[in-house]
Amino acid sequence: MAHFVYPMANTAQPASGYPTAQTAYVAAPQAAYATAPRAGQAYETAYQAAHATPQYAYTTRTPVAVTPAVAYDQTKAYYQPGQAVAAYTTPETHYQAAKPSYSTSSSYNATAIRQQAAAKPQSVQVSTASGSYVYPASTSQATTSYSGASSYNNANTSYDAALYTAATSYYQQQQTAKTTSNWALKKQSQSKFTKAKGPPKQPQLHYCDVCKISCAGPQTYREHLEGQKHKKKESAAKAGSAPSSTRSHNQLRCELCDVTCTGTDAYAAHIRGTKHQKVLKLHTRLGKPIPSNDPVVITSNSSSTVAAKTAITTSQPTKTVVGKVVSSATQGTKKVLATPKITFVGGTQLKTTGVKTEEIKVDNKPEVGDTSSSKPMEEELNILGEKEVSPVGHEYIEEMKNDLGKVVSFNCKLCECKFNDPNAKEMHLKGRRHRLQYKKKVDPNLQVEVKPSIRARKVQEDRLHRPSFKDEFWRRREQEERWRGEMEEDMYWQRHYEMEFHGRRPGMMPPRPFMPGPGMGMGMPLRRPDSSDDRRVMAKHATVYPTEVELQAVQNMVTTCEKALKQVSDLLAESDAPKPDVGTVKKEKDGKEDKEKDSQTDEAQSHRTLKGVMRVGVLAKGLLLHGDLKVNLVVLCSEKPTRTLLERVADGLSKHLAAIPENKFEVKRCVEEAAIIVTSEEDPKTTCIITLSSPVMRETNPTNGDNTPAVKDPPDVLDKNKCLEALAALRHAKWFQARANGLPSCVIVIRIMRDLCQRVPTWTPLSEWALELLVEKCISSGGQVLSPGDGLRRVFECIASGILLPGGPGLCDPCEKEPTDAAGSLTNQQREEITASAQHALRLIAFRQIHKVLGMDPAPLPKFTKQRFNPRKRRRTNSAGGEVDDAAGEKKDKKDGDEAMETVAEVK
Amino acid sequence: MRNFRSVRGKGGMMRGPFNKPHGQPFRAFVPHIPFDLLQCESAFPKSKPASDEKSFTEALLKRNADLTPNAGEQASILALVTKIQSILDNLVIAPGAFDSAQIEEVRQVGSFKKGTMMTGSNVADIIVMLKTLPTKEAVAALGNKVLEELKVQEPQEVLSMLTNETGFEISSADASVKCLISTIPPNLKKLDPELHLDGKVMQGHLAGIRHARWFEENAGHSSIKVLIRLLRDLRNRFEGLQPLTPWIIDLLAHYAVVNNPSRQPQPINIAFKRCLQLLSAGFFLPGSVGITDPCEQGTVRIHTVMTLEQQDQVCFTAQTLLRVLSHGGYKQILGMEGNSSIATEMSVWEGVVVTPSDKAYEKIEEKEGKDDEEGDDEGMETQENS
Repeated sequence: MAHFVYPMANTAQPASGYPTAQTAYVAAPQAAYATAPRAGQAYETAYQAAHATPQYAYTTRTPVAVTPAVAYDQTKAYYQPGQAVAAYTTPETHYQAAKPSYSTSSSYNATAIRQQAAAKPQSVQVSTASGSYVYPASTSQATTSYSGASSYNNANTSYDAALYTAATSYYQQQQTAKTTSNWALKKQSQSKFTKAKGPPKQPQLHYCDVCKISCAGPQTYREHLEGQKHKKKESAAKAGSAPSSTRSHNQLRCELCDVTCTGTDAYAAHIRGTKHQKVLKLHTRLGKPIPSNDPVVITSNSSSTVAAKTAITTSQPTKTVVGKVVSSATQGTKKVLATPKITFVGGTQLKTTGVKTEEIKVDNKPEVGDTSSSKPMEEELNILGEKEVSPVGHEYIEEMKNDLGKVVSFNCKLCECKFNDPNAKEMHLKGRRHRLQYKKKVDPNLQVEVKPSIRARKVQEDRLHRPSFKDEFWRRREQEERWRGEMEEDMYWQRHYEMEFHGRRPGMMPPRPFMPGPGMGMGMPLRRPDSSDDRRVMAKHATVYPTEVELQAVQNMVTTCEKALKQVSDLLAESDAPKPDVGTVKKEKDGKEDKEKDSQTDEAQSHRTLKGVMRVGVLAKGLLLHGDLKVNLVVLCSEKPTRTLLERVADGLSKHLAAIPENKFEVKRCVEEAAIIVTSEEDPKTTCIITLSSPVMRETNPTNGDNTPAVKDPPDVLDKNKCLEALAALRHAKWFQARANGLPSCVIVIRIMRDLCQRVPTWTPLSEWALELLVEKCISSGGQVLSPGDGLRRVFECIASGILLPGGPGLCDPCEKEPTDAAGSLTNQQREEITASAQHALRLIAFRQIHKVLGMDPAPLPKFTKQRFNPRKRRRTNSAGGEVDDAAGEKKDKKDGDEAMETVAEVK
Repeated sequence: MRNFRSVRGKGGMMRGPFNKPHGQPFRAFVPHIPFDLLQCESAFPKSKPASDEKSFTEALLKRNADLTPNAGEQASILALVTKIQSILDNLVIAPGAFDSAQIEEVRQVGSFKKGTMMTGSNVADIIVMLKTLPTKEAVAALGNKVLEELKVQEPQEVLSMLTNETGFEISSADASVKCLISTIPPNLKKLDPELHLDGKVMQGHLAGIRHARWFEENAGHSSIKVLIRLLRDLRNRFEGLQPLTPWIIDLLAHYAVVNNPSRQPQPINIAFKRCLQLLSAGFFLPGSVGITDPCEQGTVRIHTVMTLEQQDQVCFTAQTLLRVLSHGGYKQILGMEGNSSIATEMSVWEGVVVTPSDKAYEKIEEKEGKDDEEGDDEGMETQENS
């Protein structure tokens, strides 16, 4: 909730600016300010105030064009009380506490800010005056470590140094925010007590800024300050934890009351509510600015908030702020800029780019595909989040009437819950839970917004708490770990077995620091411990899993290509459009660059021909198999990729790659494929296929080419189908990350099945995408956590029951708008053969011959030590193995063949 | 009839203690839940509009009509059953001079009772539970007594009575009634194989009573009855499905029709296909949860009455039939065209060659591989009873 703290602090204090008070001080402050030399405290307060401004600046992101002098004065006025407080001799505890926090920020920070303090607040003021509070956008931005960036962009360049520090240290910001809030509070109370500067109008008012309440007198006020409620709120503000952080993507805040609502409806209800009205009245009386007083403002507020929210919903998991709301209050306009995730932006920080792309991969790469590659689609998704959710399932709401026939309550038959309030009913109808139920019970086609997976969220949190100023080394380490983590995660089972017998594998990564993946931490629910099928599958998996060397080689290849592409992109951007903006951002992280982009207009973006690069296919999905050395990247272009562009990119690429001494790469053009193929000439001969594509390719796509606009399509546009395939691959990767990656056993089973498809000719026609879909559907519909063995069996059962046969439902492709069979290309004969093969395989598994299915030696398992990971021989399980094994062995003794009269071990 | 509740335990008691002889630690067997499309339909939305199955449905209904006994048959069996039932009921109330056995109770069971009779086998089952020990002599005496009484009622009708190891059978010209003898549970322990009827058989008859009652309570839906008839016909025609017992078929049909998320009875075409899909997906293979017998204590999976080889056989036959069905061979499956060779020989459907599935089951070499397979046997069990 740290993120929420900011806005509150900001709004409440600096922003509000105490208009009433100002009038009184207008004259004085200027002088006070001008006579800058202050005692240490005064100095510090000034610093605090100044320091607060950057945050403010980015929260509002107001296009600061107009800065009337009056506003300037007001700003000063706003500083005035602060100084007064500082001068005040009895320091309070809050105040003391505040000090250390900003002493942590570097000192030059403060000095720089001092100079800026006068200029900066202007922007603050403007936004305040306008009364547009766009905090939500800022709140989620604050979650990223480089949240300061935008403010930086807005700031003057001379401000750089200071803000850079501010931006790099999330914690510092947090601290500052906190201190400012305390300080402001302080100031309030102090002035009251001293009565020196108390506004003459309301001498009686004792207002607590944290809790937004007024107290009848100084006594009660003090009591309130001592009170638990206040302390709680205060510490919450300090700790930056509001309960909503985990699901912040869907919330609206009432800035006035500092209340978070889960939706527009709840927000509206709150605005109507008495509590809000009370606070409103109080604030009116106090003469504080009232953000949502004016109904017009409310609506524009809430709607812009919604827009911001939705935009951010997508961006959050990926942790770059993609969408931004720029709300200029004067005009009341708002626009949402969606910028692609992995953007090539000016700047030379290659590694950062690497990291960036990396993060994206791990977290939620698909989002990228979406936001960048297809805006229409993105809107579709986003909108589901909040705005366009239309209530479903009215017919399942039962109206309960009382004796008089008046409707007293509602009963949702789908979710079995009751409401007394029609509003609550409406909200429920739009709610996620209800929609899920509806989807489950009524209409499976209903789209329900996918929550960012727990893992993505965890990852994000982790990032949040990581100091963002880690050095290059760490970044790189991290990157590698993550990259491998993708693969490693599903090695859970593997590791599980390994550890069981000899502790951790030497070459193994330390366990991932965060989110061990479902199934790992929570322990399996009552599953059979691990059957011999599971062991077989895992042994097989170990043999199909790529070696360290291969992983290394592939990773090397990919990162090299990505870096080179970034340079090419820079080069193209420079030559195409020598824009000044490129220069301003140097050593900043991508996040900043993104924001930088935002602050620039769209045109800045459009000047970059190559917008970003994404990993797709087995690479993105972490499905590499032993021997898979071919990986795919997709480069998104701002316009339709042409042959010329391909040539240019290829030229640039080969130039950059040639410049890298330790690697030898060969760059080939493949125009028919709309791709550039980079091959490594060193031993594991990796190949990287870089396909050019662009979201604009899709627009002229609708089914047949009838309406292809003859409008300025360059003559040498690359093959459309290839480009569309690349876009589909992006969607697939996105889907995979969202659905399959977190599913226990899923990735393992897919690898096993991929191996099967490569090994057995009957299975070859089954496309990889169809296979992935099939496995995911099977395993996710299993109703419980499936072990790898059970998962594999279920997949065969599914095919055996005729899912692929002509009369079956087919595999509905979630990445296409129209219902499409992902396995639609199979002929009936192929379907028949695959089904027959699966049927046989199923029975083989059931009759303990899984080794035949897996293409393994029927010899006993222990010979299948995972030698590639650990040459040590696995302990014979029967020699001294667990009792499980012993037991099983004995059981075996008892059996005599198939006729054995064995009954069921009963598990009720 | 409620007193049978106490009897239920019996079957369960038979297993248990002496099936886990080595005192090994208890290891929970968690059965595998096989894939069932209907249970997870939401995960598999249709990617194309469902094909028209009208003709298939019609064929199913026609086949069912063909299989249902005609009015004449039904009337004659009903008449015979009614007469015998009333005679036996009289013996319960007023044994009179008949003293070779005391009858505790008389119940109709089986396909006649369930309403799933098929034409051509006009046989009804009545279970006669004796209070006395079921000696072979007593059974014969009872049979003769019933026959006498019948002859008194209808002197001109030609009737015959035959005794066998389960009881006796009384046949008229176009119908016959099997009177299955059982005894009250306390007597089961006192049985002497020399003198009395086989205890196991009598237990089976007691189970039959439970089955009939369960059926009455749970499977009254006519879709289930139609499906049972169709499945029994299928079983009769395809040798590979022979191991399916009537009780398995009853439960399978009930499952296929009713057991779905909405709990709404499924149309017959879907239910019929679902049976084949379930069987194909290894519903009755080792390790599968299958169907738990609702009439036995504890967890008894009904398919464990089949040997492993039979389980394999049923599964692969169903798999072949499913593929034939998917390629449009429903007439052959329903026996309206062709013969049963489709389950065993290669066939061609609209250009698609359907190769019959082959058995996967192999007898496991005893001593070998034991160490390493670690006897993951829970799934591989069969059950002695029945």
